Amino acid sequence: MLNSGSRIWPIATNTVREAVRHRLLYTLLFFAVTMIGFSVLIASLSYVEGERIIQDVGLASIRLFSVGIAIFVGIGLIHGEVERRTIYTILAKPVTRSEFLLGKFLGLLLTVWLQLCLMAIAFVAVSVLVGAGLDLGYVAAMLLVGVELMVIVAVATLFSSFTTPMLAAFFTLGIYALGHLSRDLYSLGQASDVPAVKQAATLLYRALPDLESFNLSTQAVHGVAISGAEVGWASLYGVAYSIALLILASFIFHRRDLE
Amino acid sequence: MSHPITTDDSREIVRVDAIVKDFRPGLGLRAKRVLHEVSFAVREGEIYGFVGPNGAGKTTTLKILMGLIRPTSGNATILDCDVTETGFREHIGFLPENPYFYSFLTAEEILRFYARLSGVGGRDRDRRVQALIELVGLGDARRERLSTYSKGMLQRVGIAQALIHDPKVVFLDEPMSGLDPIGRKDIRDIILRLKSEGKTVFMNTHILNDVEMICDRVAIIVKGRIRHEGPIREFMNEEAMRSDIVLAHLAPEVAEQLGAKFSARVQTVGEQVEVQVMDGQVRDLLKSALEAGAEVLSLSPNRISLERIFLEAVEQGEQADGSSAAERGAPAC
Repeated sequence: MLNSGSRIWPIATNTVREAVRHRLLYTLLFFAVTMIGFSVLIASLSYVEGERIIQDVGLASIRLFSVGIAIFVGIGLIHGEVERRTIYTILAKPVTRSEFLLGKFLGLLLTVWLQLCLMAIAFVAVSVLVGAGLDLGYVAAMLLVGVELMVIVAVATLFSSFTTPMLAAFFTLGIYALGHLSRDLYSLGQASDVPAVKQAATLLYRALPDLESFNLSTQAVHGVAISGAEVGWASLYGVAYSIALLILASFIFHRRDLE
Repeated sequence: MSHPITTDDSREIVRVDAIVKDFRPGLGLRAKRVLHEVSFAVREGEIYGFVGPNGAGKTTTLKILMGLIRPTSGNATILDCDVTETGFREHIGFLPENPYFYSFLTAEEILRFYARLSGVGGRDRDRRVQALIELVGLGDARRERLSTYSKGMLQRVGIAQALIHDPKVVFLDEPMSGLDPIGRKDIRDIILRLKSEGKTVFMNTHILNDVEMICDRVAIIVKGRIRHEGPIREFMNEEAMRSDIVLAHLAPEVAEQLGAKFSARVQTVGEQVEVQVMDGQVRDLLKSALEAGAEVLSLSPNRISLERIFLEAVEQGEQADGSSAAERGAPAC
């Protein structure tokens, strides 16, 4: 009997090869690198803390464009395979639907991590050029951007497993926006006098991803100490949340008719 | 080429029991039944033709067998395993209708990809890839991207990927689709070769000529219902088991003698002699005609019967459909 890894890995590597041919990926990558470079110009307009502005804008660009790539490449991940019927010959082999889904997820994740590395190189290059300091805080911030991307790719995979790319984009963007507001929504709910509102806010906070827990940009730019435990727990949370989403995606995908 | 003979007591490789499939066109819309209690069995070592007009339910049935869609009710098994399971798939190959592949890969790369998914590893993988590329006649294009391939070439890639792991059972959905006459003959030869290797072949098609030439048993499906099922010979009456031969350079009196000797119908038309003879007598008649100095212009099996049964089945299906529509349309009393 074949082991799952030997079936998942070819699907993942093939997904990387397919994704790197996506024009949108290069367009967003180009804009991200341009924005990182453009931050030098923005900083030159400021009289104070130019290096911080460069790094702040740089990190924000990396986060924004990475998420853009993850969403807009990820939304068609499964739908495209069903639409083009390439999935038929794959599932006729001894490949389970869960293995297929996991292979596609890993492939896209490797692609967005690869482009994250390229953006990080551009960020480091610009920081070195302008003489801005770099420390382990930036490494931690980048690491958690990677974990956030994992969650976003899992969300995109979930929606891609049962709906059209347009709806998947709409839902994934919605989850991304709500995920960054989930702490605020929770705080607002807790401030309410109505118990039902409090409960609903708690429920929403538990169900939605807390994407702000992956945001260490401010601490990194302002040199605030970041503990290893903070990074570790956030990473663990991201991995657990992604696994839960993939189990749900797999459950839905198993029951779907691939017409 | 010698073919293993399938008998009625051969093991059942594919079994479909009263499969029903309803499709719901949209939310709140009434479900449409596309398969009505479809049942049949495919035995070990045979080539089974699943025949029907477009929209009859052939591809839907095949999708159920491949686990791509679930039946509304009924059961289907392949190699005694439920079709929703995965493990037995290492013993089956599948060619979908008009197959699509990752266009950025070459034929070699896509076959290696499928080989890895099927658990074919190491040297065996390279050997199988090269052998299949040669078998389907893509040797010259093996390193070209699939985006540059014609429809016929993609069909050949589809056949190759279906066979990459040397499966016991092969499912082919319209395997001759998009192929020129040479391509169709090549695929027919491959299918017959699979049979000679003891493999079971299930083939969806609407091309009766192909069915007659290579299938052992046939099911005719019309509008989601099996109308006929059985060995191909059962579809043939005496008329259908004859072949038409057109000869030239044969004296009319010799032609008459041959007709009498082989109980053949002989008709002289100008310089040509048209002979209709039982299939079993073809070889001897041709031998005698050639010895008498005749030239064979054509030889074709008579295929009236299967075609007639097929058309009758389609007609029956339409009539049944029409009457049920009329019943639905009748005012309630």
